[in-house]
Amino acid sequence: MDQFIPAGLASLGIEADEIDLAVMNAAHQMFWPGILGLLSRDLSAVEPERNADLSKAPLQ
Amino acid sequence: MRALDLSLREQAAAVAAGDIDPSELLEATLARIADRNPAINAVVETFPERSREMLAAAPEGPLHGVPIVIKDEWPLPWRAQRFGAAELLAPTAPGESGPYRALRDAGAVIVGVGNMHELGAGSTGNVSVYGPACNPWDTARCPGGSSSGPAAAVAARLVAGAVGADGLGSVRFPAAYCGLTGLKPTFGRSALEGHHMAAITSLIVSGPLCADAADCGLLGSVLFGEDLAPGDPRGLRIGVVRSAVSEDVAPEVRAACDSAIEELRAETGGEVREVELPDLELATLAAILAINGESLSGVTPQRLNELNPELSAIARGFIKYRMLLPAAAMVQSGRVRTLMRRRLAALFADVDVIAWPTIPAVAPPLEAPLVELPSGTLTADQANVRGAALANLTGIPAISVPVGLSAGELPIGLQLQAAWGRDEILLDAAAALERANGRRWVEARPPLAQAEAAEA
Repeated sequence: MDQFIPAGLASLGIEADEIDLAVMNAAHQMFWPGILGLLSRDLSAVEPERNADLSKAPLQ
Repeated sequence: MRALDLSLREQAAAVAAGDIDPSELLEATLARIADRNPAINAVVETFPERSREMLAAAPEGPLHGVPIVIKDEWPLPWRAQRFGAAELLAPTAPGESGPYRALRDAGAVIVGVGNMHELGAGSTGNVSVYGPACNPWDTARCPGGSSSGPAAAVAARLVAGAVGADGLGSVRFPAAYCGLTGLKPTFGRSALEGHHMAAITSLIVSGPLCADAADCGLLGSVLFGEDLAPGDPRGLRIGVVRSAVSEDVAPEVRAACDSAIEELRAETGGEVREVELPDLELATLAAILAINGESLSGVTPQRLNELNPELSAIARGFIKYRMLLPAAAMVQSGRVRTLMRRRLAALFADVDVIAWPTIPAVAPPLEAPLVELPSGTLTADQANVRGAALANLTGIPAISVPVGLSAGELPIGLQLQAAWGRDEILLDAAAALERANGRRWVEARPPLAQAEAAEA
C-alpha cells in the first residue's frame, strides 16, 4: 500500500513532490477502500447496455 | 433600479412590453455588479462593450435584452474559458459554445463570467484561480460549487438568471447553498457544445440557476431549444429512500426536507412511497471514476510533469492520482451505471420523483469546508457528492429547490429526481412546492440583496 503511489508514478515517469504525494495519499485513503469494494463485487450478471443512450431510459 | 429585482420572466416581459429600456437595464446591471460583486467575487469578468454589442444585435427572442451571467466553463466568441484554474489540461480558445449560442439566439445579453471551483472539481467554490466566491447569505461561507459564481450572482441579485454546468452536482450544490432553484437537465437535452473537456462525454450538462421554478423553466427552455411548458403535477407519486442520502443529514436539513416532502404531497394530492434503491454508494464511486477516467483522455505523463505551479496543490496531486486508477475499476463503473439505470427505470414505473436533501448540511465556512453529520465530520465534498452523483451517472434530470433556512439563516435545498426526459415534472413539482409554502423560500433574500430591494 505504501509503495503503490510512488511505484505507480515511477512506472509512468510522473514526477511528484512532497505536497503532491501528500495529496495523493489522502486521495488514496479516501478512494481505495471503495475501489477495492467495487472490484470485489460480482457484477457479471449485469448484462452490458449496448450503445447506451444516456438521454433515455435503458432498453430492458 | 427596481427592474434589477424583478424575476427573469418579469424582466423579459417588461422589456418585451416596452416598460423597461434594455439599455438602461444593462447599464444598471453593470453598475450593480460593480457595487455588490466585490463582497462576493461571483463575477470574474465583465465586458461592457461586448454586452452592448450583444444587445444591439439581439433578436426578439424570449430573453430579449435580459442580462445573464455564464459560468467560466463555456467559451465566448471574445473569451476562452479558464475553468477557474491557472491551467487546463486541454487547450482552449474563444468560440461559440452551445450555451452562448442559445442565449444569443434568445436575445439575452451576457454581462459577465461567473466564478467557479477550480477545474470544476469541488462542491464548495472555495478554490479558484480568481479567489473564492462567497455566499451572499454569509460571505464567510461557501457558495457551493462548482457553479459558485453563477449561483452567488443570482442570489445577490446581480442578475436574475445564470447558466452553470453540472457534471457531479455542480448546479445543484450551489443552488442549495445559495437558496436558489437549479436544474440539472436530462443528459444531452441542454446545450453543451464547446465545453473544453470534450472528452467528458457522458456526465456534464449545462443548466439554469434562478430564483424559482418558472424562471428556471424560461432559461431552461432557451438552453434546451424547446418549450418547457408548465404541466399539472396533481397526484404526484413521491419516492423516498431510507439511506445515507436522506438519513446521514444534519437534523435541521432533514426536518426541512421532510416537511417539504409532506407539503409537496399535500399540495399535489399525491402520495409518498418508501422505495428501495440499493448501492447508492457504489453509484457515487462509479460516477467519480467515470468523470475522472474520461477527463484523462489525451493526458500524458510528460504533460503532468509540466503542470503550472499556480494550480492548487489539491488539483496537482489529484490529477496525477487519476493516472493510477485501475482500468478494471473503470470497467466495473460501467456495469454499475447499467445496473443503476435499470433499477431507476423500474423505480420510475412506480413513482414520478425521488426526493432527498440536495446537501446534507448547510454551507460550511470558506476556510474549513467541513460538515457535521450524524456519522461524524466529513469534508463537504465527501458528503455532498453522495446525493448528487446518481443523476450524472445515469443521465436522469434533477432539481434543487429551496425549502428552508437554518437557525443560522443559511439555505436548505431539497433535491427531486425524475425519469429521463421528465425535466418538466421537476419544474412542475418545484412550482407546486412554492405554492405550498407561499413562495416563502424562493422570495427569501440574503442580507446583501435586502437593503436596496427595500429601497426600490
